[in-house]
Amino acid sequence: MSAPLTRAEAEELLYREALLIDSRRWDEWLAMFCDDIEFHMPAWRDETTLTQDPDRELSLIYYRGRRNLEDRVMRATSGLSTASTPLPRAVHAVTNVLVLAADRKEAHVSACFTCHRFDVRFGRAEVFFGRYDYRLRHEGGAWKIARKTIILLNDTIPTVADIFSV
Amino acid sequence: MRISDFIDDRPAEGIFRVHRKVFTDPAIFEMEMRHLFQGGWIFLGLAAQAPEPHDYFTTYAGRVPILVQCDGEGVRRAFVNSCPHKGARLAQSRCGNARMHVCPYHSWSFDSSGRNRAIKWKAAGAYAPAFDSDSHDLAPIARFDEYRGFLFGSLAADVPDLADYLGEARKLLDLVADQSEEGLELVPGQVTFTFRANWKLQLENCSDAYHFTSAHPSYIRILERRQQEACDDVVASVFENSDYWKEETKGIGGGSFSFANGHVLNWGVFGVTPALPLYERAQDLADRHGEGKRDWMFAMRNLTIFPNLQVAENASSQLRILRPLAPDLTEMQTWCIAPKGESAAARRQRIRQYEDFFNPTGMATPDDTVSYENCQIGFAGLVEPWLQGYGRGIAASVAGGNRFGDKIALEPARSVLAESQLCDETLYHSYYRAWASRLAPEFPA
Repeated sequence: MSAPLTRAEAEELLYREALLIDSRRWDEWLAMFCDDIEFHMPAWRDETTLTQDPDRELSLIYYRGRRNLEDRVMRATSGLSTASTPLPRAVHAVTNVLVLAADRKEAHVSACFTCHRFDVRFGRAEVFFGRYDYRLRHEGGAWKIARKTIILLNDTIPTVADIFSV
Repeated sequence: MRISDFIDDRPAEGIFRVHRKVFTDPAIFEMEMRHLFQGGWIFLGLAAQAPEPHDYFTTYAGRVPILVQCDGEGVRRAFVNSCPHKGARLAQSRCGNARMHVCPYHSWSFDSSGRNRAIKWKAAGAYAPAFDSDSHDLAPIARFDEYRGFLFGSLAADVPDLADYLGEARKLLDLVADQSEEGLELVPGQVTFTFRANWKLQLENCSDAYHFTSAHPSYIRILERRQQEACDDVVASVFENSDYWKEETKGIGGGSFSFANGHVLNWGVFGVTPALPLYERAQDLADRHGEGKRDWMFAMRNLTIFPNLQVAENASSQLRILRPLAPDLTEMQTWCIAPKGESAAARRQRIRQYEDFFNPTGMATPDDTVSYENCQIGFAGLVEPWLQGYGRGIAASVAGGNRFGDKIALEPARSVLAESQLCDETLYHSYYRAWASRLAPEFPA
């Protein structure tokens, strides 16, 4: 039986996720998610309110099931997507990691992020920033991501924002 | 300079060419602002964005901030969203409910019918009598009208009536509006994105059947994978349930209609399929409107109401407002548009299909917008300045309509019936003929 998740463990997990995605280690990144991952980036209803219910309101990204993330990775690496070829260079800086609740089975973690993206084709750099809300689950001897909510604060999207730049 | 230096339109010779500078020249862009976006009918929004007394929303006509405001009796008006005192933008929010707007700069206030209600410290202000001879109300825009919940405005007074401007394209807005007896709504959640390219690339891409298999193979590959490895986690796409767009498909699968004033439609046959959220209403819609019109509601349809409204009903249903910011910068405001009252399951399906395809965070739109940016870079090359993207379908374009359009009594200016590989480009001619006629005052005859 595991112990409740500590902040050090939460930081380790989030920093590792950032490293894997920034270094394009897709299979290792996908392995961090539970099969039934809920991956959600809500849209904004208006200037101050996020959409809440993904079945009745629009999200920027909403997937239930890791299979959908595998599709996104397949698209991004297929060489068949103009928008993804070559992939932009990106680095995620994850900060303000807090364990809001944790027991031996589950944990609720909050964090902030910035993602700097450099589009090598057009020679331009952009930044996305916001907050993460994670639900982690202890599964098969390791903490995995059961739900990831991305609150994108600067939501006027310059051309494209893929799963690896938020 | 003459207009023919930009649009080379010689129908008798089978020639239609567009000059690259149309997309890059700052002087051309200023003409477009004057004559298209600030000089004629443009789409402002849906009535559903300000449905109740005192509701309002804000938008732009070109560079001009606009306030669409519903008064206490439910009458909607459109004003320049600018205080007459010092010019400050008055309403600050995208939408809201306000009996009064109080200017945050010097507290001049206006009711929801646009009337000035108070000028702070007026009596002590030592104004000359002449001040009282000026109206201090909000400036209404010259023309404001509605068709089936679609709100349009014009900063210029000298324009045809809206019904005449829309013409036959009204029947295509009917296909959107009639999907529910209760009308249309925008699914909560607005998505805004920009691209560093000219707005007319978006205008064209919506009508472009030619790019689908070239620009979106990664999306098509995922559809194939989802078909082969079906599971409950993935949303079904209408494209995987349809063949009209595939290169091996034979027979008439779609085509295009061109209308006066620059409105166009390209379309394809999806059929009445459960892959469309409208499927639950298929029988009801046939009973209400007849099978011919019902089948049109189930067809793939990309509609442009020139110059700034597009309603795309293909992978899902999207309403887009194009807003040019510079010759090489465009802002897109986008929503999922839906018939009111559909079931929770249909709405969920519509939203999932939408996010997958239409979002700038999805799997199709970015491959379009990045291609626009590649075009914008390429437009700098003026060694051969005339673009060759307007020739497909010239030999197939006929005056008037066809047997498909006849089902909704559609009388377009021109039409093309197409097999999957024809991919008509003559519908862009309609854009540029309207464009040329509106910009003509800038050029000697």
